[in-house]
Amino acid sequence: MTTLTNRPTSAHKKALIEHLNIFTALALGAISAFVVWRLALQFLPQDAETSPFFNREDKITLLSMIAWFVGFMTGIGALIAPFRWVTGKDLSHEENMFYAGKDMGVKRYFRYTTDHKVVGIQYLVMTMFIFFIGGTLAMLIRTNLGHPEGGWIHPQAYNSIVGTHGIIMIVATIIMVTGPFGNFIMPIMIGARDMAFPRLNALSFWLIVAAAVPLLWGQFLGGISTGWTAYNPLASQAPLGMDGYIMFICIFAISTMVAGANITTTVIRMRAKGMTWNRTPIFIYGTVASVGLALPAFPVFFLSQIMSGMDRALGTGFYDAAHGGSGWLYENLFWIMGHPEVYVILIPAVAALMEMAPVFSRNPLFSFNVAVLGIAGISGLSVLVWAHHMYMAGWAPLLNAPFMLTTELISIPTGMLFLVLVGTLWRGRLWITVPLASIFALLWNFMIGGITGIYLSDVPADAFLHGSMYVTAHFHYTLMGAGLTGAIASLVYWFPKMTGRMLDKKLSWISFWMVQIGFNVAFIGMFIVGLAGQPRRVEGYSAIFSRGNLITTIGAYVIMAGMLILLHAVVSSWRNGVKAPMNPWQAKTLEWSVAYPIPLENFDVLPIVSSDAYGYGKAKS
Amino acid sequence: MSVETHAHHEHPDVVGSRNRLGVILILVADIAFALSMLFVYFYLRMQNVNDMWLPAATEETPAILPLSSSSGWTVTAIMAIGLLAHFYGLKGVREKNQTQLNLGGLVAFILSVVGLSYQFNTIATAPFTFGSGAYTSCFYLITIMNFVHIALTVFISLGNWNRTRLGLYKADHWHVDIVNVWWIWMTVSSLLGAFALSFT
Amino acid sequence: MSLDTQKSPQWWKKKDVKQTFIFWLIFTPLLGYISSTIQIRSIGAPASETMAGVINLIGLFTWVAAPVAALVGAMCLTTLLSKRHYGDNPPPEAENEIRNSPRTNAIWITVSSVLCLFALVTGLVVLQKDAEAITDSAAMDINVTGQQWAWNYDYPNGARTEVLYLPVNKPVVFHITSVDVKHSFWVVQMGIKMDANPGYVTETAVTPNKIGVFDIRCAELCGLLHAYMQNKVHVVSQADYDAWVSNRAKMEAAA
Repeated sequence: MTTLTNRPTSAHKKALIEHLNIFTALALGAISAFVVWRLALQFLPQDAETSPFFNREDKITLLSMIAWFVGFMTGIGALIAPFRWVTGKDLSHEENMFYAGKDMGVKRYFRYTTDHKVVGIQYLVMTMFIFFIGGTLAMLIRTNLGHPEGGWIHPQAYNSIVGTHGIIMIVATIIMVTGPFGNFIMPIMIGARDMAFPRLNALSFWLIVAAAVPLLWGQFLGGISTGWTAYNPLASQAPLGMDGYIMFICIFAISTMVAGANITTTVIRMRAKGMTWNRTPIFIYGTVASVGLALPAFPVFFLSQIMSGMDRALGTGFYDAAHGGSGWLYENLFWIMGHPEVYVILIPAVAALMEMAPVFSRNPLFSFNVAVLGIAGISGLSVLVWAHHMYMAGWAPLLNAPFMLTTELISIPTGMLFLVLVGTLWRGRLWITVPLASIFALLWNFMIGGITGIYLSDVPADAFLHGSMYVTAHFHYTLMGAGLTGAIASLVYWFPKMTGRMLDKKLSWISFWMVQIGFNVAFIGMFIVGLAGQPRRVEGYSAIFSRGNLITTIGAYVIMAGMLILLHAVVSSWRNGVKAPMNPWQAKTLEWSVAYPIPLENFDVLPIVSSDAYGYGKAKS
Repeated sequence: MSVETHAHHEHPDVVGSRNRLGVILILVADIAFALSMLFVYFYLRMQNVNDMWLPAATEETPAILPLSSSSGWTVTAIMAIGLLAHFYGLKGVREKNQTQLNLGGLVAFILSVVGLSYQFNTIATAPFTFGSGAYTSCFYLITIMNFVHIALTVFISLGNWNRTRLGLYKADHWHVDIVNVWWIWMTVSSLLGAFALSFT
Repeated sequence: MSLDTQKSPQWWKKKDVKQTFIFWLIFTPLLGYISSTIQIRSIGAPASETMAGVINLIGLFTWVAAPVAALVGAMCLTTLLSKRHYGDNPPPEAENEIRNSPRTNAIWITVSSVLCLFALVTGLVVLQKDAEAITDSAAMDINVTGQQWAWNYDYPNGARTEVLYLPVNKPVVFHITSVDVKHSFWVVQMGIKMDANPGYVTETAVTPNKIGVFDIRCAELCGLLHAYMQNKVHVVSQADYDAWVSNRAKMEAAA
């Protein structure tokens, strides 16, 4: 291949593409927000006497945040390609190479780079950053709850921290596997040179950066007063920070949609020759199912937030009963998204562990078809269960029974995933590593999370349990105990391929045990206080719940220590960890057949696949 | 989007078909969004919370009356004719007739601008405010979202026509195919909006 | 090389299967007992049949789930106790030939479906009873109004207070609404909960069967003082209740 220079030859845009990066984006975004803020203050008319809840200030805040968004995306260069399309001056090959980060060194991580491996690393760092913030908020919550009267944090700030912690963690867990590994690893695993739409890949990442700022900015505008679910009409009377939440979700929804189209098209159309669906690794199925669910679900969330913004800024009556609005409308829209979303979170993590199970037991994957069926069953059913979050809302008592049916049915495909994992490990040669231990941790945590979910799915039991800390413990067991465990295992497993180094073994083991033990201590304590009658989202509670809360707080500190050790391990190993061989785990999927540093286009010659990746032991396929 | 990031050239049909799938997937998201808007409309109408779907007259304000949905059908008709114009252009390029493509694209673009101004006018001249109850809230939601769709269509049809003019669709024209897919959905969504608004 | 003339033993006679079975026999009662005891002890004493039903259901589901969890645990433990490999290099590949076992799949899926059906039916039976309680014409009606951050109660005789008194063993239907945002009316020890929504009235019903003072907590985040939106329900004898409520009504009339 001839050496291409990285200076684009189209003279008109040469300087522009070269100069745009995260700093120009931040600058342009901040300037736009400032200018629009001042203009809005100057020119927006005062509110009419009759409008409630300060519409004008919401208008100013929302306009300013929208200006931030447009400025940031312009400053990072997202609009160049559409502009070039309209004017008919398509990007040249050299410009595309520049976009892909060819020969650019570390600068490519700070730009609108289209190489999926760069995007994967960017997602990894962003995910860690988001988890750091969400985790810090969790520690603030648990410290306050260490004493029944609270008082370490003001009640208004506390409620805002609870809701912000929730939404930050939800977004972090949505992207934690699909972002870093769906982007970096997936195209190589299917034998492709890049994703189907490399520019959309860069777009999906930078949209998340653009989205995060309004949410953080909103913390200085009074924060939010709702939980992560942002229920209306409470959200209507929330401080201006609520507008930050609204913008965060709207922008994030676009990112999800774009990523969903990109990942799905890549997997459907760009698998290597010979990689039939039967030979496609189970991790790929998990990734596609997850983004495939997110694709129709997130727009509904997007709409619900637009309407919330309209109620706040324009005085519309979508959710305000005095104007003909209905809180039940919000709940339906939210949970139509909100339930599939938890499977968006869970499925990639479990699929990643299913990918690791054969490697660390040297056994073939047990019953590939059941694994696929389980993933498909969960995905399909997940769009039919949403109103189990609304059993106690009173919106449609006759529908409680059908939703109880669909919800309990999900236990069947979920059980299939347990079967596949246990069946794969059975009679295997267990290689004791953090990924393997994570599989056992998942089985333990997901068993507890799943069974407590069955209690909650029962309407009469839910009449007692809904809105209590039992629910909080249940979803932490599934999303964190199962989901996060899978994500951390993925990090340990694929770290050598993404960084060329092994993640420090001792530190990752210490972290694993501290996180798992701390986690179980923390959340068993939480089940107990929930059963004893403690509602969720409270910053002070009756003294009878003291002991359980103290146990949970202690557990939380252990988790924190474990996670900080993991962070330290990642940073120090990335810089000077043991150099990794090409295939340290002797795994059989395609990403392990390319050496680090992986060339820009992954493969010199595209591979041709003649079997699946599970030919361990005597059972070669 | 017509130049890929690597030097290994793929057949335009492969590239086009892949891009088409991507656009269809994005449309799946948009369809979910639109169907949710229909849900919003019919749910609030059915609930009629506090009799405020169409508020009765009070001392300060007159009764809120629903608008005829004819404006919704009209805007749909304009965009439908635009679709026909674009499709006429697409047929032309399939038969290697660049002039037909050019003409169809230009007419389509002009019609999208007409549709945009008409939709804008509908929104600006509605005889009620945002705060006039649930029906008016839904009216604005549907018309404003339709406006956004049409604005995107103006941008897309401008690009389509301009690129035709520059001769970029002489070798392959999968972009034009994809614009067609978009236009079909955009027209259908306008129709769904008008349909909902006809139930007052 | 001598030939192995013995047939391979049937699957249930294999060492690891027998070992798993023993573990399963131990884990099932252990898990069932520990998890049901922890949960039921945490809940505390019920103050209605409804709540007693919830406690029974939690206990029942726990015992039904215990063998399933125990099986997974037993298989995991057996696996962990067999050949484990440590170090930086992978172990040699397993000698397993199993890629699939249609019989195992079928049994697993069938059993999980049966358990699912069981959970559904038990839930539906109780749900039916709860639905009937709401339409009970002999029940006393009390209106509950939630607001930021207090509960108010309207009694049949016109009394209106922030205190809830109920006569023991008499069915009551609550009609619940809110004047601002969503709240949730949770009478903790009686095991009932229903959201208070602005613009709507919702219903829930219960028959208190124990005299005493119990907790009412708001179970839906409703703003700044959500944590303090709590009060008590006093369940008293019919005579005491009649006296109290007519006294309240007189106070209302006088005010």
